[in-house]
Amino acid sequence: MKERESLLAEALDECLEEDLSFIPPEREIARKHHFSEEFEKTIEALLENASDASRKRIQKHFFPRYGQWAACLLIFCICGGLFYYIIRPLSEQTESVQEAEGASGSAEMILEERSEEAVPEFNEELASDRKGEAAEEDRSSGHAEEETSVQEAGLETVPEKKYCGQTVYPAEQQEVPEVLDYVTTLVNCPVLDEENPILILTIGNTGEEELQYLNHYMLEVRLDDEWYVIPERLNVPEKWITLEAGMAVDEEIDLTDYHIDYDAQQYRLITRVNQELVSAEFTFGDGFTETMELEEDSFEE
Amino acid sequence: MFLFLALLDNPEEQEKFAEIYSQYRHFMWYVANQKLQDEHLAEDAVQEAFFALTRHLDKVEEVHSPRTKKFLATIVRSKAVDILRKSRPEEELSEYLSEDKGGADILEQYLTKENYNHLISCILELDDSYRVIFEYKYIYQMGDDQIGDILGISAKNVNVRYFRARKKLQEMIRKEDDRF
Repeated sequence: MKERESLLAEALDECLEEDLSFIPPEREIARKHHFSEEFEKTIEALLENASDASRKRIQKHFFPRYGQWAACLLIFCICGGLFYYIIRPLSEQTESVQEAEGASGSAEMILEERSEEAVPEFNEELASDRKGEAAEEDRSSGHAEEETSVQEAGLETVPEKKYCGQTVYPAEQQEVPEVLDYVTTLVNCPVLDEENPILILTIGNTGEEELQYLNHYMLEVRLDDEWYVIPERLNVPEKWITLEAGMAVDEEIDLTDYHIDYDAQQYRLITRVNQELVSAEFTFGDGFTETMELEEDSFEE
Repeated sequence: MFLFLALLDNPEEQEKFAEIYSQYRHFMWYVANQKLQDEHLAEDAVQEAFFALTRHLDKVEEVHSPRTKKFLATIVRSKAVDILRKSRPEEELSEYLSEDKGGADILEQYLTKENYNHLISCILELDDSYRVIFEYKYIYQMGDDQIGDILGISAKNVNVRYFRARKKLQEMIRKEDDRF
């Protein structure tokens, strides 16, 4: 009986895993869907109230004697910190100044005995020593500052770009193959004017088994050697479609669903085939630009 | 709502809850939207799922694990089923009024390694309202009381649904067997 139940559990788990394998990554979904304010507020309130409730409980269970111990410990730590970081460095500094003064005093005595020509040399040596130390300090502090600024830059650098009046973010996966072992893609680019901005994407199953592809495409544009995702205007429902072995299918993609300017050098469409991403790159050729210019000229005339 | 809040009773649980929220909310919304085909109803399902989760956080051992992801998928699917059921009251009523067709529960007989592939294809076709009951019971080892608490129904009703689910699955496997 137990064995049979575990078989059922195994089967249920496998089915659930299969269902979830078709779900895109969290970040990809987050790009397409933004939760309503009402939703966010409810969850925030839930979290805030929960932490308030927990604070109250902690206060309630706080024992005064532990508080005294904690206060003593805190005072000890503060005093220790004061001594270690403020008083000790100050006293060390004073000592080193005194030592330096002593050294310069003795140097002066020796200098008096030396000829006048030797004086500037010694002063230069002292000055160069000081400069050397100062430069070293500068270098180390400069290096630290550099590191901090790099770290800050790393944290604060927002990789998004502005494209066609919208913010575009770098694609999560920059390298996406156009051909897999069992599938090929091809973009036929019949875009002739803005009134008919339809692309035809051909997906061919060259394998020996049927495959599933998602009839939802991400359009990406290449800017400064990086691929950026162009957001869709509409939320189109996604659907997995089965493609038999040896078959090909033409999918029509309406570019009016995206804000694009037709100026960028390269675009690519990304979709999912089984569990892999596959891309199809395309450009807008001279023919298109010429046609557009001709149309603009005729319109102006 | 405040009833739920009281159950996140320590900072560790709150932290875990916040982490789950930030890590999986969009995933949960996607799962719900697949079922409901409505963005706003899907958000409602996610919200309900999070409320239910506050009472069963102990089932989540590690936030970043496939098991947690599956558990959240089951909760949000069951909430989506619930929303669908409420939006179609006639179906809800018919479910409660419907009599069992009778017949012995012989699902056990079909649960064999030879039948495994049939079992898989039948589970994939099984209605989510039945499937989630199986998942709670067999994958997460939850009792009728706990399942009832998540679904907002009594333990007795959970048991009724469970036996209907068994019968349904049994019927589907039998049909599948007859085909081959």
